[in-house]
This record gives sequence, structure tokens and C-alpha cells, in this order.
Amino acid sequence: MSIAASVKPGIGQTPATGSEGRIGLYNYLAVLTQLALVLLVLRQFQIESAAFLRLAMLACVGFAIHALLPLRMRLPFFVVLSMAGIGVVMGPANGVWMLLIGSLLIAVCHLPLSFAWRGSILLVLGGVLALQRAKLMPFPWSEAIWPILGAMFMFRLIAYFYDLRHDKTAATPVQTLAYFFMLPNACFPLFPVIDYKTFRRNYYDDDAYRIYQVGIDWMVRGVIHLLLYRYVYYYLTLAPHEVTGPTELLRYLVANFLLYLRVSGLFHLIIGLLYLFGFRLPETHNRYLLASSFTDFWRRINIYWKEFMQKVFYYPAVFKLKKLGTTKALVLATLYVFAMTWFLHAYQWFWLRGTLLLVPQDILFWTILGLLVVANSLWEIHRGRARSLGAQERNWRSVGVTIAKTYATFWFICVLWSFWTAESLQDWFGLWAALAGPYKLETLLFPALALVVIGLGSIPTQTVRNVRASAQDDKSWMRSRAATLVALVLLIGVSREEVSTQLGSEVATVVHSLRSGRLSRLDVAKLERGYYENLLSVDRFNSQLWEVYTKKPANWLDVENAGLKRFAGGFAQVDLIPAFVSETRYGQLSINRFGMRDQNYSETPAAGTWRAALLGSSSLMGWGVGDGETFEALIESRLNAERAGGEIAHHELLNMGVPGYKPPQQLVSMERALRFTPQAVIYVATGREPSQAVSYLAEVMHKGIAIPYAPLRDIVDRAGVHAGMDEAMALKLLMPYRREVLRYVYGHIADQARAAGSVPVWVFLPQVRAGNWVEETPEALETARAAGYVVIDLSRVYEATDIQDIRLAEWDDHPNARGHQLVARRLYEALIDHAAQVFPHRAQSAVPGSQVAQAGMAVPNDPRPSRGMDK
Amino acid sequence: MEKLVERKEELKAAVKEFILREFLPGEAAENLTDDVQLISGGILDSIATLKLVMYFEERYGITLEAHEVDREHLDTVHDIVELLAAKQ
Repeated sequence: MSIAASVKPGIGQTPATGSEGRIGLYNYLAVLTQLALVLLVLRQFQIESAAFLRLAMLACVGFAIHALLPLRMRLPFFVVLSMAGIGVVMGPANGVWMLLIGSLLIAVCHLPLSFAWRGSILLVLGGVLALQRAKLMPFPWSEAIWPILGAMFMFRLIAYFYDLRHDKTAATPVQTLAYFFMLPNACFPLFPVIDYKTFRRNYYDDDAYRIYQVGIDWMVRGVIHLLLYRYVYYYLTLAPHEVTGPTELLRYLVANFLLYLRVSGLFHLIIGLLYLFGFRLPETHNRYLLASSFTDFWRRINIYWKEFMQKVFYYPAVFKLKKLGTTKALVLATLYVFAMTWFLHAYQWFWLRGTLLLVPQDILFWTILGLLVVANSLWEIHRGRARSLGAQERNWRSVGVTIAKTYATFWFICVLWSFWTAESLQDWFGLWAALAGPYKLETLLFPALALVVIGLGSIPTQTVRNVRASAQDDKSWMRSRAATLVALVLLIGVSREEVSTQLGSEVATVVHSLRSGRLSRLDVAKLERGYYENLLSVDRFNSQLWEVYTKKPANWLDVENAGLKRFAGGFAQVDLIPAFVSETRYGQLSINRFGMRDQNYSETPAAGTWRAALLGSSSLMGWGVGDGETFEALIESRLNAERAGGEIAHHELLNMGVPGYKPPQQLVSMERALRFTPQAVIYVATGREPSQAVSYLAEVMHKGIAIPYAPLRDIVDRAGVHAGMDEAMALKLLMPYRREVLRYVYGHIADQARAAGSVPVWVFLPQVRAGNWVEETPEALETARAAGYVVIDLSRVYEATDIQDIRLAEWDDHPNARGHQLVARRLYEALIDHAAQVFPHRAQSAVPGSQVAQAGMAVPNDPRPSRGMDK
Repeated sequence: MEKLVERKEELKAAVKEFILREFLPGEAAENLTDDVQLISGGILDSIATLKLVMYFEERYGITLEAHEVDREHLDTVHDIVELLAAKQ
């Protein structure tokens, strides 16, 4: 079969099929039924966001009306529907601002001035908007509109302005509005760069029913990509420090690249939705896992991007340079395109995130890919490449060569991709040490899987690309219909619990997990780390975590950037700035003269005072709640209100929490705490204590900070970690010692507490978000018990509470004021339950240091041999 | 008018001959009909398109513009012939 098109493309709103965009009743109902099934799948699998489901429902209703309207009314209807979609997703006020800003930009394109002038005005306007995006200039609209406004205009305005200059077909205002504000865009900051000319040219240029039907096919394909992505994201991804051998390395490389399925899935879904309104657009991706060379890869992945770059940069550059000769012009133009691709990715990042992206991996990635494509292009110029109008005639040898080339390209791209997405160059180089690890049979799993997929994909088939569906023969058309229907029915069937549970518990668990769009364990860990670190490495362009951060307002006060910490030197590195006061959106945050978020207590407790020092991190300090709203302050108030009297006239809880502190840093906190002669030391542990403990050691070793504790130094030596070592590598080597590190930290704090006549209490405070961190909780609990602490386990404190009610925000999992109240109530009750151990003695005497003798301390028995001072 | 039709037939033959020789060696000439989609169908990628453009620029002494190198002007043999004819 040839790939001839039997229908000539129409421009504008006139279909060339003679059907005037009409659809028969039977076909209309068939499309509507399938669309309802697609909606059901979107709902069952919670594809993307709740906002997207609302938008998809709007599109479904819109389609039902749109398909019945006379053709001339359809485009205006699509514009109205798109505006309504913006309102539904962004809210009316934001929607109006977007329309106003967008209309201003479009209006400038049409000013009765020369192109040079219009271009200059656009640049000035873009500059003003960029200053506002960077928060260097005020703006009256909500920050939420930036990513979507950026997605609508950052590239499409370039394509539009280019076509305005060169395309002689006059654009109508309705076409322009439809192009910029097109319906699905309101939900997606990542949006394919649709070409304006193609957008107009392909409008209803085929039989309407077939266009709609192909749209359904694309949407189903998009959903399948997104579900595959979820599987990879939840089950296959690994952190660099988890790459300990060749098996994990290969899994890391493959999973990292396959995360791109999200982009291809979203783009298929978006384009499929547009088909429902008559826009017969070309494919956005073409089986990119089967690319058999670098140029082939560039042509298959994100095709719209490639075509945008080709049209706006590549061809103009070649035409300008062709005096130099064809080959030189092609080479220089290709390098120019890759340089611009890097720049435009940084530009895209700026509009979506509001910050500049200057990461060496980015520059190197585009440079390497550019050079590879140039080399490949030169090869193709001289040797040509196999093309065919129909199915290519192939023999075993040619299939074998194709598979070998595809396999090699796949792995090369996986490696290059891992480089691009690595958090740092050091991290990436550290990965390769895993090649020395043990080679097992399972090491062959991913190479074998890749070979099977590539082998099956390379079987010669008739691939018909981008032709009108009406040019397809009936047999292949019916085959596509059957495939889509079967996929829809299977997806809906398997999404039903009564079906998935019949397939075994493992399948049911996997299906259950695929049915929700949550963060993976790695991204949850990154989010947790967001408490402590300024996240520079939130995966670029395809991460769900990235999207969570996109919603974060710019004026959201980061723990790290709040200015409440100072560099203190020494092992702990930082502490809170004494007498620091700041007004936050959650109330006042005050640090006392001793560097605690607490009242200005005296260093020495007054007579009749029972005092406890609480060690912990940001949740204890009360990140996101005002002074007096922390669980520590609430418990103190309640103790004084309900338990004061007799020997204990007053209770003082000293909040020594420091955001970002990990277990080893609490050793330093403990030394500070002893100055205040507490009768109890309450260590507030959160999730991942063992791995946090070693990650801090990896950090200090990387920075070359001296470790003042001999047992920790000994562990580091035994692990083979040396000063200045890459953090990911150090973490990998230290991970097997995490229990030992934690044992030392807990033991040393408990020993010091007991030596000072204080009761060591260990409180487990869970994360507000359920996650894999629970896996480390039993280990931490056991270690605390073994160290002789009074153990209070608050693991279930947030149970039966909706996470939305107790966390600060989607991007900040600290407990809010309500969360603190909940913790305060439970911890208070637990302390009272353990009163015999926690409050075993009378209140403090006025003479510091004499409390042990006076109180007749009943310190819990220490089951371990005592430790001496290790410093 | 007749001359124009004749000219277009000549151009068509030249275009087909070039495409078959350069990009589709071994392909039966009758498969390359006037409306086969060359860019959309993946036959003409950017390198092939530029080769074609430069060949005809040189052969006929015409100049094409960068913005004319697209699906609208070069997607089928018919489109290419129309463009070349308009340029001569």
C-alpha cells in the first residue's frame, strides 16, 4: 500500500472532503460512547489532576454539541469552550487576567507597524513580563497563572509571529484565539509546540467521523503511556545511592529514560482531545524507543519540537549559510539548533518555574546530542538512509542489523539521559562504580527485556504515518477500532477491584497503585528533604514533584531561605540565630537569646521547676505555625494548667528543634541542652532516622568537616569513606552501617542524659504523609528501646485524619496548627501515661547540678554496657 | 497554457526521477504518485528536503525561501512541481 493521500488538505474552516464536517447519527453515538468510556478510564485511574478530569468532562459535553453545529459555528464554539475551560481550571479572575495579557500580546502582533517594530515591542513586553515572573516587578494577578500563561505563549507566540510574516493566508481572530487559548492547555504547563500553520491547515481536512475516532485512539494511547509511566515511576526508579551493582545500574538507566513516557502520554492525550474538535494534527511522537540512530531519535521524539526548531531556526540558518556549501551549512545549522534548544529549555524553565536553569548537565547533554546528530547527519548525507513507500522488503540480516542498531541506540540514549537527569556530575560518575558489583542472572533482566521489545517492534509492519484516516484501508481501520475498544474495556475491567483481585494479590496491588497519581517513594523522599534543602534538582520537565513545586507560591517561606539559621561551624554546621524574629504568613516566629524557638527562659531553672529539653528538627521547631502554636508550647501550657502544684510548681519545655537537623546533629544539640539542666531529654524522631543518620555523615565527609566522635569516625573508616568523597558514593558505602550509626547516636545521647541525671525519652513523630519511610520505623524504635529510652510511639497520631487538614500545603508536608494540636494532645496523654518514668522525682532545686541527689532519680535501666566520652 | 502544462509535466518527471534516485532507490516508479505524502510520510526528512531544494535551485537557477521549506509547499510531488513552476 502506498501512503498516498486521497484527500487534499483544506485550509481554514473548509473541509476538503465535501462532508462539511458532518457525522452520521450512528457514528456520532459510537464516538460519544467511546468518549464516555475514556472519561471513565480517566476517572478510574485518576489520570493527571482533578482539574483535568473536569476539563475532560467539559470537553466531552463540548464535543457532543460541537459535532452537531454547522461548521462555521464550530471554531467560535471551540473558543468559547476553551475560555470556559480556563475559567474552570484557573478560576474566573485568573482566567480574565490570562485573556487580557494574552490578548495584549496578540494585539501587538497585529499592530499596523513593520515586523521589526512589532517584534521589538513584543520583546519589550516579554522583558516586562520576565521581570514580573522573576519578581523584580510587581504584578496584580495571581502567581498561579504564570506556568499556564507561559505554556500558551512562550513558544506559540514565536511560531505565530513567524507565520504571520511568511504565511499569506489571512488569519481570522477566531483562529488566533483558538490557537493560543486552546482547550486542554489550561491544565498542562508542558504542552506540545503546535505549529500555527498546521493547526489551521489540517482543520477538518478529513472525514469528521474518522478525525474524531482517531482522536479517541490517541487518547487511549496516551492513557496507556501514562499508566506505563506510573508503573516505572512507582516500581522501577532508584536513587543513585541505591545503585549498588550492575543489575541496579541497568534498571536505573532504563527506568530513568522511561520516565519520558509521561511526556509522550500527555502529548497524545492533548492531541487526541484536539482531534475531537476537528484539529487533525500530526503525531507528536513516533515509537521513539525504536530509534535506530541519533538522527532517527531526534526525528521520533517530541516531533513538534523538532519541527518548530527546524522551521524557525534550522532552515533559516541553512539558507543563510548555504554559501559555505551544503555540508558546512548543515553542520553549523544543526549545532545552532542544539544550542538554541538548550537555551529554550532554560527559557521554558524560567517561565514555568520563575528561576534560571543553569545546570552543567543540561549544556553538556545538548552539546553531546548535537554532536552525535551532526555526525549521524554527515553519515546520512554520504551514505543515505533506507526509505520505502510501503512495507520495506527485509530479510533476516537487515532485521538483525536494525535490531542491533536500535538496541545500541537505546542503551546509548539511556546513558545520555541518565547524565542529563543526574542531580550532579559527581552523582553520575559515582553510578559507574556499580559496574564492579556482582553479576547475577537477574543482571540480564533489563537487557533481555529491552531486546524483546526492540525485536518485536522491529518486525516489519506497514506503518502509515500522518495520513488522513480516510486513506486507510477498511481492514486496518477496523483493526484500529477493535484495538481501541479492547484496550478501553480491559482498562475499565482491570480498574474494578472485583476483577483485579481475581488476578492475584500482587496484580491487585499493582493495579491499585496505578489507579492513583501519587508521588513515588523517591519523590516523597525528595519532598521530605525539601524541608532541609533548597531543591535545585527537582527533575526537569517530567517530574510530578516538579509539578507540585510549580504550585508553590514564590513568597512561600522556605525553611532553608527563611534566614533563621546561621552557619555555626563545627560538626552541626548551623544553628538558629539568637533573638531572630520574623513575621510569617502563619504568625510570628521568634528565637530566644539561646537560639531556641521558645520563651526567654533563664539558663538555670527556678526552684520548683520541672524542665525538659526537646531535641528534633523542623516539625518540633514548629515550621509553619506561629509562636505558641507548636506542640511543645501547647503541652507546656497544658502541663502548667493541669499538673502544676505540689513539688512541681512550673513546667518548662525547651524547644531545641532546628530545621534540617539529622540524628548526628542532635549530638551537638544534646551538648547545648545540658547547659540548661533538664530533668528529661525528649528526642523527637521522625521518619527515616537510620538513613538520615548516614546521609548526614556522607554530607560532612563530602564537605571535609571533622567528625568529633571517635565511634562515628571508626564507622566511616570501615565503610571506606574519605573526606571530599562524592556524597552519593559515600552514602552508598555508609548505608550498610546505618543501624550502627543510629545506635551510637541514640546511645550517646541517652548516656549523656543519664549521666546528667536526666530521663531520656524518645518520641516517634510520623510524617503527615504516609509513605515508605515507615519501613525504617521499626529499626529506629528498636534502637531507641535498646538504648534505654522511655519510648513513646506516636505512629498513629495522624490516623483517621485527612492529610489536607493537617499539612501546611501540597508542597510542604509539615504539620499545620491543627496537626500540632493533634500531636500535643496525644503526646501529652502519652507523657502522663508514662508519668512514673518521665516525672519520677520532685521539681528542680535552686542549686544547679544537685538535682540528682535531691530528686532521687529513677532513671530507666540501661541495658547496655556504659559508654565513655568518645570525643 | 499548453506550455505551462508541458512545463509542469517536465518538472514532475524531474522531481520524481530525483526522489526515486536519491531517496527511494529500488522503488517502483508507479508507486510514487503525485499525491504521496513525502514529508508527512517520513520520506523527506530535513536533510533530504534540503538536498532536494538545493538540487532544484541549482538545476533551474531559482531561489527558494526558508519558510517555503514546509509541508504546504513540499509535501507531495504535486506541491513541489507547483512551487518550482511558480518560481520559474
